[in-house]
This record gives sequence, C-alpha cells and structure tokens, in this order.
Amino acid sequence: MVSENLDSDHTLVDDMALIATQKNTAALERLFDHYAPRIRAFCLSAQPGSNLMADDIAQEVMIRIWNKAHLYNPATASLNTWVFTIARNARIDYMRKNGRYQSDIDPDGFWSELVDENADPFSDVQQKRDQERIRNGLNELPNDQQQVLSKVYLEGKSHSEASQELGLPLGTVKSRVRLALNKLSVIIKR
Amino acid sequence: MLSCHPTLDMLTDYSSGSLSLAHALAVSTHLDQCAHCREQVKRLNMLGAELLSKQADTAPQSQMSALKSSVLARITAQSEPTSEQATAPAPSSALSDTLRHIPATLRRYIPEGYDKLKWMSLTPSFKLATLSNESSGEQIALLYIKAGAAMPYHTHTGDEITLVLSGAFSDEEGLYRAGDFIRRGDEDHHQPRVTKDADCICLIVLDSPIEFTGRFSRFFNPIMRYFHPSRLAG
Repeated sequence: MVSENLDSDHTLVDDMALIATQKNTAALERLFDHYAPRIRAFCLSAQPGSNLMADDIAQEVMIRIWNKAHLYNPATASLNTWVFTIARNARIDYMRKNGRYQSDIDPDGFWSELVDENADPFSDVQQKRDQERIRNGLNELPNDQQQVLSKVYLEGKSHSEASQELGLPLGTVKSRVRLALNKLSVIIKR
Repeated sequence: MLSCHPTLDMLTDYSSGSLSLAHALAVSTHLDQCAHCREQVKRLNMLGAELLSKQADTAPQSQMSALKSSVLARITAQSEPTSEQATAPAPSSALSDTLRHIPATLRRYIPEGYDKLKWMSLTPSFKLATLSNESSGEQIALLYIKAGAAMPYHTHTGDEITLVLSGAFSDEEGLYRAGDFIRRGDEDHHQPRVTKDADCICLIVLDSPIEFTGRFSRFFNPIMRYFHPSRLAG
C-alpha cells in the first residue's frame, strides 16, 4: 500500500508536467482517478450525506489542478500536499459562498507553499523524509489521537467544536492533538 | 527574530481550514513575514495531505465516470486563454516600492498602497482604515499611529489580533516589531505606545467593537461603534 502510493505519486507528478506543457487530458483523467474519490470522501466527512457538495468541490478541485498545473513545482511541495491545500481552500470557498457566514476574503490569496519565494530548493529530501515519518507514524497512533486528528483535519472542526462533539473537555482535545503532532514530529521546536 | 507568533493550536486550525477567514487572513499575513511559522504550517499541511490520501470513497463507478465526463467537458468549454486561468503572482522584486513593503496576503486589499486607502482620522496622530467587515461581525482594519504617539486607552469584548506591519510599538508587556502577532482577550486593558523612531502601521482583526476607556477618549466610542459591522448586523 505504502510503496504503491509512492510509485503512483511519481507518475502523477509526471502527469502534472504533461498538463502544464501539453494540456494533456489523459493525464488529468489519471489525476482524477486518484484524487477525486479522496476529495469526495474528504468533503463527506465534513458534511455526511452531502453528495452534491462533494461532487461540486471535487470538480472544482480538478479544474483548479488543470488551470494551475504550470504553477506546481515539485521542489516546494509534494503533490499530495499541493492537492490537499487546494481541496481545503475549495471546501472553505464553498462554505464561504454557501454557508452561514459569507465573507469577502478569498482563501486563494493566502500564503502557500506554491508561491513561497523563500523556499529552500534543497529541502526536497528532507520533505520526503518528513512525509514518510508522518505516514508511518499515523498507523501507530492510539485510537483516541487518530480520532481527534480526523475531527480536526477531515471534518474541519475547530478544537472547541471537536470538544463539544466528542463530549471531552477542550483541554483534553488540545492535549491529544498536541501529543499526536509530537509523535509524528510535526512540531518544530523554537 | 520575531518574538510573538500564533499558537500551535491556531496554526493547526489554519492548516486544517477551521479558522475564521478573518483570523486566517491575519495568520497568513504573519506567515508572509515569519519563516519559522511557514515551516510549521508546511509540516501541518503534510499531515493534512497524508490524512486526505488515506481516504477512500464508496461512490459507485458510474457516478465517478459521470463526474469525470463533466470535468472534461468543463475544461474543454473554457475559452482559451481564460481570465480565470491562474497566473503566477508577481515576484516581489517586480513590484513598485509602494507595494513591495505590503505583505503579499494583503496586497489585494491595498492595491494602490497605504496612502490610497480611505483613512478615518480619530485623533491627529491616530487613523483607521477598514479593509473588510465580515458578516460574522468581525472587522479587519489597519491602524496608523504616528511615531511616539499613544493609542487611546482601550479594552474590547472578544478577541483582538494585532499584527505589526511596519514600525514598532510597546505596551506594559513588551516591544512589538514588524511581523509580531499579538492576540489579546477581552480581559486585557492596555495602552500601546508607538516608538519614537517611526510611524506604526498594524493590521487588526476584532471580534467585536473596540472600547476606549480614557476620560477623553470615551468620546470615540460612539464613532467606533458606528463603523463596526455588528451595528449593521443587528
């Protein structure tokens, strides 16, 4: 499973180049097959049963991938990370336009790896190592920590919303997130 | 080296997308200026990416095929070249002097530089320009305070985020320079004073109207309330 992921990631990066240079639709179809189901699942965890929303956002993300492929630089972020930030922003954008609180702020203008002028071009190897550690570490997290991470990242809940839904004190949610981030070595020491 | 940063909780909410857009705007503006927090958010985004890639959808094959056809139809229908098609943002080296000093996140709200904003003078040394009034009641604004001047004594209900964009100010707790990110709750009662060497510009995000508590500055409260979105909301 893990090695399959790494291999497919490599060809998907090639597909990004094919879109950027030749507007190759077959490449987009392969990216769709890989990412669209995951993006739908990501949206459905935030709003169970909202198939229309999940379809809308998955389509929107694929179109953004098509239109922005020439901006993708494998040296600044892995493709998975790049797609995650696009999917997250598309989900925020959907809520911004259809949700309770409408806003004029477009998350697309926020800082991202993509346009980081100060990115270290030699951090590529380090990045792969970090990613692998996170991937392997996730499987070994205790259930209660996996549960809060999925509330926060997949369901898009804030720490206080997660504490309400899990019926846990806010402090417990915060410390579980922190323990998980620590175990995965996501926290950078000052 | 900056001394004030968003908390790890806040960066996590930023990365996972649950922060309010007003707060996220302030965090993103800080990221423009802080390499350390950028690295932290990169790692948090990696975690989000791993969780996303472990997701499995159960949609039937026919539904996915229909969705794929619809995506392909939409990209072919896009007239070429479309205005929607993304172009890389201009590198800061290509920007005019006026814009180069504005953090990239804020440039779209300040397209012609600080001078061209609609500033409202509250005292001879203190001006405010609103960038956005959110329907949730949050207000995003810039403060401009002259070198050496004090901001009127104030408290607030709800949180206030202050991000120094240029110049520096200090209060009872310390000195804050460009890039510093300060979040205060409603129990705080403070009086920032700008350092004497330069004027200070700050981005502020308010959950609710600011209250001025000095004898003289009580005068401003009705004005500030008047300009705050929550007044319009209800």
